[in-house]
Amino acid sequence: MKRKCQDYKSRLPDNTAMKQQQLPAFRLQLSANEILSGFFAIGLFCLGMGIILLLSAKSIREVEINYTEKCATCAKLREDATNFDKECNCSISFYLPQKMEGNVYLYYKLYGFYQNLYRYILSRSNIQLVGTDVKDVRNCAPFKTSDNGLPIAPCGAIANSMFNDTIVLLYNFNSSTHIRVPMVRTETAWWTDKYVKFQNPTFQNLSSAFAGTAKPPNWPKPVYELDEKDPGNNGFVNDDFIVWMRTAAFPNFKKLYRRLHRIGNFTEGLPAGSYSFIINYNFPVGRFQGQKAVVLSTLTWSGGSSLFLALAYLVTGAVTLLASFSMMAVHLKLKERKTFFLQ
Amino acid sequence: MFCSRKKSLEVERIVKANDREYNEKFLYKDNRIHTSKYSILTFLPINLFEQFQRVANAYFLFLLILQLIPEISSLTWFTTIVPLVLVVTMTAVKDATDDYFRHKSDNQVNNRQSEVLIDSKLQNEKWMNVKVGDIIKLENNQFVAADLLLLSSSEPHGLCYIETAELDGETNLKVRHALSVTSELGADISRLAKFDGIVVCEAPNNKLDKFTGVLSWNGSKHSLNNEKIILRGCVLRNTSWCFGMVIFAGPDTKLMQNSGKTKFKRTSIDRLMNTLVLWIFGFLICLGTILAIGNSIWENQVGDQFRTFLFSNEREKNSVFSGFLTFWSYIIILNTVVPISLYVSVEVIRLGHSYFINWDRKMYYSRKATPAEARTTTLNEELGQIEYVFSDKTGTLTQNIMTFKKCSINGRIYGEVCDDWGQKTDMTKKKETMGFSVSPQADRTFQFFDHHLMESIELGDPKVHEFLRLLALCHTVMSEENSAGELIYQVQSPDEGALVTAAKNLGFIFKSRTPETITIEELGTLVTYQLLAFLDFNNFRKRMSVIVRNPEGQIKLYSKGADTILFERLHPSNEDLLTLTSDHLSEFAGEGLRTLAIAYRDLDDKYFREWHKMLEDANTTTDERDERIAGLYEEIERDLMLLGATAVEDKLQDGVIETVTSLSLANIKIWVLTGDKQETAINIGYACNMLTDDMNDVFIIAGNTATEVREELRKAKENLFGRNRSFSNGHVVFEKKQSLELDSVVEETVTGDYALIINGHSLAYALESDVKNDLLELACMCKTVVCCRVTPLQKAQVVELVKKYRNAVTLAIGDGANDVSMIKSAHIGVGISGQEGLQAVLASDYSFAQFRYLQRLLLVHGRWSYVRMCKFLCYFFYKNFAFTLVHFWFGFFCGFSAQDVSDQNSMDYPQLYKPGQLNLLFNKSEFFICMAHGVYTSLALFFIPYGAFHNMAGEDGRHTADYQSFAVTTATSLVIVVSVQIALDTSYWTVINHVFIWGSIATYFSILFTMHSNDIFGIFPNQFPFVGNARHSLTQKCIWLVILLTTVASVMPVVAFRFLKVDLFPTLSDQIRQWQKAQKKARPLRTRKPQTRRSSSRRSGYAFAHQEGYGELITSGKNMRAKNPPPMSGLEKTLYNSTSWIENLCKKTTDTVSSFSQDKTVKL
Repeated sequence: MKRKCQDYKSRLPDNTAMKQQQLPAFRLQLSANEILSGFFAIGLFCLGMGIILLLSAKSIREVEINYTEKCATCAKLREDATNFDKECNCSISFYLPQKMEGNVYLYYKLYGFYQNLYRYILSRSNIQLVGTDVKDVRNCAPFKTSDNGLPIAPCGAIANSMFNDTIVLLYNFNSSTHIRVPMVRTETAWWTDKYVKFQNPTFQNLSSAFAGTAKPPNWPKPVYELDEKDPGNNGFVNDDFIVWMRTAAFPNFKKLYRRLHRIGNFTEGLPAGSYSFIINYNFPVGRFQGQKAVVLSTLTWSGGSSLFLALAYLVTGAVTLLASFSMMAVHLKLKERKTFFLQ
Repeated sequence: MFCSRKKSLEVERIVKANDREYNEKFLYKDNRIHTSKYSILTFLPINLFEQFQRVANAYFLFLLILQLIPEISSLTWFTTIVPLVLVVTMTAVKDATDDYFRHKSDNQVNNRQSEVLIDSKLQNEKWMNVKVGDIIKLENNQFVAADLLLLSSSEPHGLCYIETAELDGETNLKVRHALSVTSELGADISRLAKFDGIVVCEAPNNKLDKFTGVLSWNGSKHSLNNEKIILRGCVLRNTSWCFGMVIFAGPDTKLMQNSGKTKFKRTSIDRLMNTLVLWIFGFLICLGTILAIGNSIWENQVGDQFRTFLFSNEREKNSVFSGFLTFWSYIIILNTVVPISLYVSVEVIRLGHSYFINWDRKMYYSRKATPAEARTTTLNEELGQIEYVFSDKTGTLTQNIMTFKKCSINGRIYGEVCDDWGQKTDMTKKKETMGFSVSPQADRTFQFFDHHLMESIELGDPKVHEFLRLLALCHTVMSEENSAGELIYQVQSPDEGALVTAAKNLGFIFKSRTPETITIEELGTLVTYQLLAFLDFNNFRKRMSVIVRNPEGQIKLYSKGADTILFERLHPSNEDLLTLTSDHLSEFAGEGLRTLAIAYRDLDDKYFREWHKMLEDANTTTDERDERIAGLYEEIERDLMLLGATAVEDKLQDGVIETVTSLSLANIKIWVLTGDKQETAINIGYACNMLTDDMNDVFIIAGNTATEVREELRKAKENLFGRNRSFSNGHVVFEKKQSLELDSVVEETVTGDYALIINGHSLAYALESDVKNDLLELACMCKTVVCCRVTPLQKAQVVELVKKYRNAVTLAIGDGANDVSMIKSAHIGVGISGQEGLQAVLASDYSFAQFRYLQRLLLVHGRWSYVRMCKFLCYFFYKNFAFTLVHFWFGFFCGFSAQDVSDQNSMDYPQLYKPGQLNLLFNKSEFFICMAHGVYTSLALFFIPYGAFHNMAGEDGRHTADYQSFAVTTATSLVIVVSVQIALDTSYWTVINHVFIWGSIATYFSILFTMHSNDIFGIFPNQFPFVGNARHSLTQKCIWLVILLTTVASVMPVVAFRFLKVDLFPTLSDQIRQWQKAQKKARPLRTRKPQTRRSSSRRSGYAFAHQEGYGELITSGKNMRAKNPPPMSGLEKTLYNSTSWIENLCKKTTDTVSSFSQDKTVKL
């Protein structure tokens, strides 16, 4: 009997709020006033944000020079892949009417380069790049091995298509004096990329570390000769290489190339005046009807130029405000009907 | 396949008793039953085959195969195989558990013990080892193991009583009798062992009331009919033992043949989801095609050169082929619109709801300690869509307890309690019960509260005494004294039991009977009446009478029966009493009580003797015997003196009326399908308010031939439409009717309430293809449909009919084995648990102990499940559209090559939201709105970051516009947008909501940071190349600005839209909510008014669960145990008589039965 009672008890469902679906609940029911004031607040916030962003975007100084056309001869030369060993330099002068204050960054910009192609993105070996196994070329098709069967390092299509123009900025102090603007070539890549994701294989000598591997077919020199002066910037941990390997999301993109080294004349930034870019033109964009440009830019608190964001905020803010006004109108007009209904 | 072929081969069955070798030749099935679907070996292949028949599973398998092709694969194959394996395993485990329980129950049944005669000895044998041709012994209250030919029993003349509740739901005892040649075998084991009769009979079939066969034994042939067969599922009652020979075993038994096939049930949401999945698949193909064409064009114009530039050493494929490959890649990428997680989530939500049903204390029946149980977890939301409820009667609507409630004696009502204000109140409300001092045998369970009646008895009111005497005399009850000296009544119909018990409690105790006498105790004094004649009950007479001689020598005829019949044969002097009594009867009937009119007649000796002589003559003639007897009965049952009327309550289960009412208010139609009699069924219909006097018409279809049924249906329809026509413009309706006849399942509104009552025989005809539509059309326009006398299979057929032609969601509820097929064929089957038999529960999808819980199951759990499921699906599709279409937009900017925005995250977080859904309650919004909403969100999610990233640089000048940062930004925006969205959708914030919504955001970020951490990159550099991404991106101010803007832009329009919708087009639930708010402010809610009493009109509430043939049993004394053997001559006389009556009985029953079943055989 006793057991029976216990049995009975055990079959009775627990009287917990959870099991009886009676959990204490907060009912989120926003009143019309709350919603309307929320809308106003958000609209005002967006508008304000848009104005701030717009102002800061305006404060940015930016120079973009598309040199695809300007270096026509070089471009023509590069059309033919067989001329890969011929050097071609190209000089582009421009005038900076206002000085660029603060940190100045030098970017190269590519148009119509689909770095987001699916097969392209996959064509890399992170295991190789992190230095674990320099001969791991598993995912690198179609650039796995060279013609003589050696594994390519760094393998894959991304590495092979690395941007290899060299850009030097000269400050034309006067017609005869051309000062080379000091540029820092490091710290252009993300910290995690440089110190975690990309590692040279551990060997005393970098070239011996890459022994038994071949250079990518498009490269003029092997990876361990990317920056022979600075061992911390050579091999896989070369900043230019790392920046290239971080593939862009859209076919038109700019990548950080150099940072202004603020010494001497350039402590304040880039003074106004006449400048010229000396470009060692290697990267063939004509073959895929792309274009390339070089960009000089300063930054604001929110980073690079965010004109779109500013405008988007402005538009959103305006629309929200407009919406809240019309909602209020509708609501006030219908309020009478509603009270009638409530009775 | 194999079975059916074999069955079709078996035209007749030849069984030889006690000869297993002989019977083995025919390969009859043994008594083992299998309701389980799989065995250990067949489980995997069959189950997998079944599972991959599901659209979704097949679709994912297809995707998996696509992903294994390296040229196409854009996602790693494990993103599909892991969830697919998970889903398939989960389902398989569930199926396996279900089947395990089926095995267990099979085993339990198969291992029941029965005594089998093997090698001339009675041996205990498991049921499953019983073979066709075996002779088995059954004992009282045992379940019958197989379909048996009754050979002999403990009762005289090889009688035995069985209860067939499991088969047809009727609880009154039925009598079966063995052939006289076999009944002589008795319990003599050696003779039984030598019995070598050969039975040639019909092949296994599902007709419960039909059996034809021939027994050849000792050179003579004996014909067999249903009366000699005990079917599996019956219980032996009031018979201490009997022997039977197994004719059909296991799956061949009529019980098993009647159990419908277990079908795989799925909900309409499931089907909708399947269609949606197909649509979406079509949509995907469109998207894929657009992208593939785009890809081809791009390849042609730009890509070719670009590709050659990138992959210079590779001979390029042509652009068309590339487009082709892209197409498949995008199919894979975009499959996230219908991710496999949808199916997992839906299952999990359903599981949760099932648990909520199991946990519901309001559906827990404490008296039987049975909680509600969701036995299938996949049908919950369908509970919110039920349109038709098919209910069994006995045990489901009623408690199957008869109680004597009221009576009207000589124009005065007893049993009604008047309160101080002179108003009638419910008797049960009165606190004190009657003392019953007059009756020492008073039954404590008896509840009858009227002191006036007691007073009248004590005062010796002759009419009251006569009334009670009649109740004690005129019946077919058998009495028995148990060891404790208490009287036990063996009741053939529960109504009679109630009446006799009532008389007993009121001081007129039926003590015992012999074939010639009835002894009763009248207020303490024993009186023995001589039983002169017994005018038995039958369906046409609707009455029964006894003629007795009391000790004073007076001859009296006591009669009870249907008021309509009895009133016609009253003496003219009764007119005043008649009107009074018939008023009372209508009142009783209005309360849903089962009524009988009571009358007597004083006979003078001479007249009776003449009559009796004529009766004896008639009995001995062979031609037109029945007609003559009937004529004589008519002759003597006239000029009756009315005594009064009785009202017996077929007790409804608690809350049935309220449940029925509220379900009808919810626009759910309730059909009652019962194996019971028409009168009983109608009565219950009235009792639970399904039939009311306000109804415009009640159509009764009770034809016995196909043409009759057709005619009746036609008339009913004409009536229905005719009346309808008179309500509105005749011409219009006539045209409507014409169109209706063309397409007969068109819904038409018919003014007024109608009810349809159809019995089993008519139903058999009506289910024929050409009348079927008429029936359905008629039935669907009636508010209430009652089908009586239906077989289990017919129940299923009715359900199937509605299912097939109305496209409605059906629910069947029942408690016994006779409901199993109906439960199985309805969309949702509900079993009443806590009863003895478990078959209904085992076959059901939900089970609970009381009919009234149906209300809560449907209106609360069903609605919630449905609403929540809809909301979940809407949200899910919204989310996935938002999520997936981002790929689509991205496709335009990456040369249409497939690319995943965030391949790792995608498989992780869709599931995160689903539990948050569990406590939502809101109304449904359209799938396409969700879709549009999703599309809009995806636009915002893609193009705002796109614009922002266009010329972006980080705060430190490093570029941030790489695709990984873009992926992180979009994914984070997506998570935040959908979280805000769900927060807005959540109307009730419980702890769970908080935990899941905040938890899911937290989980997202922790997963994000984990996957982007150095450590995990160190372990799997190739699988997790996102190292440092989150860290870098999410520390950028501009990224957060983008996320914020995206959120605002995608959420604001929704809020505005909803705000305006509530203002401009408030939905019903909005209105109700506001109304409630206002009400709450105004004053506390009033409690609902108690239900008003039914209006009662003149209507006969006659119902009597009685069967013909008992009168003869009693007068012949065959069913009385020979405690004191009567004198020799008497015995011989009885023996002689007995054969005659038994033959009569057989003849009668077979006539009626075979006429029914023969027809049915053809029609079914």
